[in-house]
Parts: sequence; C-alpha cells; structure tokens
Amino acid sequence: MPTESSTDQSEILYIDAISDALRDEMRADPSVVLMGQDIADHGGAFKITRGFLDEFGDQRIRNTPIAESGTIGIATGAAMLGTKPVIEMQFADFISCGFNQLVNVAAKMFWRTEHPVPMVIRLPGGGGMGAGAFHSQNIEAWFLHTPGLKVVTPSFSGDAYRLLRAAIRDPNPVLYFEHKFLYRRERSAIDKNTTPDRIEAESNVLRSGTDITVISWGWMTHRTLEAASTLAEEGIEIEVIDLPVLCPLDITTILESVERTSRVAIIHEATSTGGFGAEIAAQICQDAIWTLDAPVLRITYPDSPPPYHKDLEATRIPSAERICSELRQLKQQ
Amino acid sequence: MRELDASVHDSLREMHGYMRLAREWDLRFEKMFRTGALSKWYSSVGNEATTVAAACAIEAGDSLLTLHRDSGAILRHYLDIHEILPGLVPQTSSGRKSVGGDSRQRFLRLACQMLGRKHGFSAGHERSYHYNLIEEQHGLIHIGMISHLGSMIPVAAGTAFAFQQQGNHQVALNFIGEGATSTGDFHEALNIASVWKLPFILVIENNRWAFSTPTSQQYACQQLADRGQGYGIPGVQVDGNDPEAVFTVMSSAVDRARSGEGPTLIEAMLGRHRGHSEADDSLDLVPADEQDGYSSQDPLDLVEKKLVDRSTLSVSDLAEIRNRCASLVMVLVDEAMSMPQPDPDLPRRIHAD
Repeated sequence: MPTESSTDQSEILYIDAISDALRDEMRADPSVVLMGQDIADHGGAFKITRGFLDEFGDQRIRNTPIAESGTIGIATGAAMLGTKPVIEMQFADFISCGFNQLVNVAAKMFWRTEHPVPMVIRLPGGGGMGAGAFHSQNIEAWFLHTPGLKVVTPSFSGDAYRLLRAAIRDPNPVLYFEHKFLYRRERSAIDKNTTPDRIEAESNVLRSGTDITVISWGWMTHRTLEAASTLAEEGIEIEVIDLPVLCPLDITTILESVERTSRVAIIHEATSTGGFGAEIAAQICQDAIWTLDAPVLRITYPDSPPPYHKDLEATRIPSAERICSELRQLKQQ
Repeated sequence: MRELDASVHDSLREMHGYMRLAREWDLRFEKMFRTGALSKWYSSVGNEATTVAAACAIEAGDSLLTLHRDSGAILRHYLDIHEILPGLVPQTSSGRKSVGGDSRQRFLRLACQMLGRKHGFSAGHERSYHYNLIEEQHGLIHIGMISHLGSMIPVAAGTAFAFQQQGNHQVALNFIGEGATSTGDFHEALNIASVWKLPFILVIENNRWAFSTPTSQQYACQQLADRGQGYGIPGVQVDGNDPEAVFTVMSSAVDRARSGEGPTLIEAMLGRHRGHSEADDSLDLVPADEQDGYSSQDPLDLVEKKLVDRSTLSVSDLAEIRNRCASLVMVLVDEAMSMPQPDPDLPRRIHAD
C-alpha cells in the first residue's frame, strides 16, 4: 500500500515533506518521472521514495546505473520534449560527476536556444553525521556561479514541501538542496494548499530584531535561531532572515533589514572562500555600505573538506555557541 | 548486372540531390571563410553520404542531434527538395513522413544562423550548428551541439527516453565523431540506453582523425562497432562513403528502435577531407598518400559515378543538378547576408518564465 499523504496543515518531518511533495506532484502530473540510484525497490538511500514503485510503476520510477552525467544528460533531453524528470542524487557530493552536463548543457540550454529544461535535481547534502569528505559537503556555491540554474535550500518542512512542488513545475533546471541533518530532526507545519508554479526570490524573516541582521539557510538557520534566543536573553535583538531560495536571491529584504540594523552577519555551513556569503556581503557593500556601523561578518565552515570523526567535524560547523560569541563581538564593534 | 527497379534509381537520385546540395552549401561557406566573410567554419565535405542516408531513414517526429559535419542530415531533414528545387529529382514513394513547414524559409533561416544574423535560430547568440530547431507542429525536433564533444549523446538518449515515456514510436538519431567515443558520456549514455531499451541510434562518423589525433592514439580496439557488444547492442561498421549501404544499416537500426528492441551503434568509415576547422593546419598531419586515398573515395564522386554507370543520369544531368544546387545556395546566402544583424539592445533571458 502506498503511504498516504499527510493531511493539510499538519506538523510533519522534513523528510516526509519531501516525500509527500514528490508523491503529490507525481499524482497531479503524469509527466513527472523520478530517476536515481536505488530509488525503486530500495526506496532510495534515505527511503524518500519508499512505496513509489508500487504506486507509480517502473516506467516512472527509474533506477539508474551509477552514471550521474548520463542521467543528467538524459533528463535534459527528456525535459526538452515534455517529460519532467526529478533526479535524486544519492548524495549531493556525487553531482560533481555530472557537472558538465549540468553547467554546460542544461544550464545554458534556455539562454542558447530558448527551449526550457524543466527538471529538478534533489541533492541530499550537508554535515553533522560524521559521514566524511564525500557525503557531507555544502556545494551550493558551485552552481550559484552558473547562470541558468535555480537554487533552493529549504530549512523547514513547509518550505521543503512547497518549494519541491514549485521546483517540479518551474520550467528551469532547479537544484534542490535538502539537508540530511534536518531529515528527522526538523518537524513543523506544512500547508499543502499553497503550491506555487515557479521558484521565485523569497526569504523568511523568522525573527525581528534591531541590533544585527543575520542571514542563513539550511541547517544553519536553526542554529541561528537558537543563538538568537540566547542573545535575546542578553538584550541583543537579532533579525533572522532565512533564505529558502538562493537563486533568484531576495536581496531587497536583506538590504531593507540591514539599513535598519546597521550590522549584518551571514552564516553558512559551506566553506568560506567563494561561498555564497561572499556574494551577499558584496551586494550589501555595494548597495548599503553607508548604512553599516561595522564590517560585514561571515561565519562559515573553514576552507577544508569535511573530516570524518564527529568531534573533528563539530569543530568546523558553526555552532550556536560560536555564533553567539561572534555576534556579541559584532554588536560591540 | 541485375536490372535495378525504378525505386532504387529514384532513391539514389534523391540522396544524391541532397548530397550535392549539402556539398554546395559547404563549398559556399568555405569560400566565405577564405574571403573573411565568416569567422569560423567546420566543413561537412566528405560526410554527405553518411549524413544524408542516415537522415533518409528517420522521419517527422523523430529527433535529430548533430555536429558540425552533418549539414547533409540537416538539409535532408529540414527541406523538401521537391519544393525548393522542383523537378531536380523524381518524387519517391517511400511512405516516409517528411517534416512539414516552409522549406525555403527554413533554409534561409539556416543561412542566417550560419551568419549570426537576427533571423537565425539563435538570433546571433550561438554560432553555426550550436542551435536547436524544434517545430512540434511540423514534427521537426533538431537539437544542436555544444563544443564539448560527446556531451550531446546523453541528451539524444534523453529525447529517446521522452519518446519511450510518452509511448510513441519515435526514434532519436545522434551523430558523433570517433573522438567522442573516448568520453565518459559515450559510455554512460549507451549503457543506460541499452539497459532501458531506448529507441536510440548513435552514428559514429569515423574520419580517422580527431583534430590532429589519429585513431591509433584514440582507441586500441579493432573497430569501434565492436563496442556495441559490450553494451549488449548491435554494433555495425559500414562504408560511410556508400549512401545505399548506410541507408540499409540505418533502416534496420530504426526498425529495431521503433519496435522497442533498443539502441544500435553504427560506425561509418569515412575519409578526412578537411581540417578540424578551416582555420587550422591539422590536415597537414594527415600523410599525403592517405589524403589521396580519401580524395579518390569522395562520396559525391562515387555516387555520381554509380548514377552514370547505372545509366540513371548523364554527366550533363549531373552538371545541371550541381548548377541548380549551387545557384540556390548562392541566392539564399546572399539573401541572408542582406538580413539584419542581431540587435545588441534586445535582452536575452537566462531563465524561462
């Protein structure tokens, strides 16, 4: 028996939100087809497509050989002719094997030819589980440097559901980064009645504050919220902006907030140099530098691959304590 | 010699008509390159038998994915030769569904595309054969190349995947050079296509030199067709200078694909007649006697000899066909030259709305 979708407005796990979004969109649109390694009988490495084979059959649930480049290329060709592929990368890290197909064929196709490529690549990424250098990376910046793609990084179940359905309906190649650490830890309400047709620039102002604007996405939004609660007890009011969509970027909300608070930090789990925080910092400096009372702060992973041991890994990922400490200093500058 | 029936004569005449048209097309642009009217040209000279014959085996609704050396396939697939050159070749009754639409207009736009004009298929944003032309209402699905050779093989297989998903009986035809068989995409795409039994035909135009690299430095197997066995699909080597042989092999591959049996790998053996592009000296590396061998096997000369030997056409008939093709190309390219340049102020969108 296929798993029934959760009822509207209920609180569900982030991983179930992803699964529900896939299932609901496949039910709504028969042209959607899933492709990925071990997604059929096995239900995927994280069991997100468990039961899908029974419900949708092997024409629409396609186990692929270990061939990321071939799979992305096939998805691109199919997407141009009316099929809507959703690819599951077993781990986000593995997309490097399909890099050329993505950045040169799929991403440039619309600009070159004005033929849309409506496809989604789901990318289970991020650290926190001691999974080592090839199962833990945060690689969104690789693709933000490539015009033609859209990049989604939901932090909450509701956004995970809504934006996955929107990504499938969007006529562009969309990279959907889902954070593995949040799969079974994040649980919140989802609204199944609001399912947009496009990925557009958006942000969530999760907490209003007057002292510092903090921008983050994915797992780091949760750590930022934790730090903001702690700092509120000390009288430091943080405005927390979560970015569930990195491309296109809602820079307007960021600039408006920065103009009010005059201090800003960007927190991401990805490595520092050339990370997307650098781009946001640059845009703030370009458009709002005279409103700032202190330099733009970035709190990130160091420029290092993820180490295996959890204790080693924990020293790299920005913790709530580290965030608190750096924000306290920023407040005093 | 056994008496050939009329349809064999007509079919070869038709293929020859398109081959000649493609040859004149290329010669015109080669000349323009030499006079500086064009910044770059990659020539299809010597590939016409393979490309025209292969395209004769597909029909409206099928997808075509090409490279620089495939003007023969493009012209064959885009144009109704009876419309643009009435009476040049006899009407054949193969039952093949041709793509619809206005052939002359499409031909003119193709010339505009080569010249980077506003009315080209990419409005000046992409060069020569790096464009798509998809006219669903006419059954025309043509997806062009990117510069990364081999990269379009999975995309071609992807069009075949869409056909399979949608439950129709269309097929995908993709041309590559022998150099692209060394890429990972060649392997990944053929493997998936075979496992999924995709209606996909991959034609290798083996002209034995990839830019300056001879086959001895490209692969160590005896023939590339043998690789088919490794994927569990038929791999067939064919004389790429013989359009009738190519057509026969292609027809079997298309039948196999349409009936759901999966892909076929075809290796068409060709000669190297030109440099990698017209702007480089890579042809100098091809030994003189090897080049002479290729010249003596020019597919257009061979097919014209065959037509004369079979008494299908006379030498003066051939001269007239050549003149008519050359004149049409001249007129169209001149017309394209007078068309507007792309407008630098026109925005080009990055994302589809």
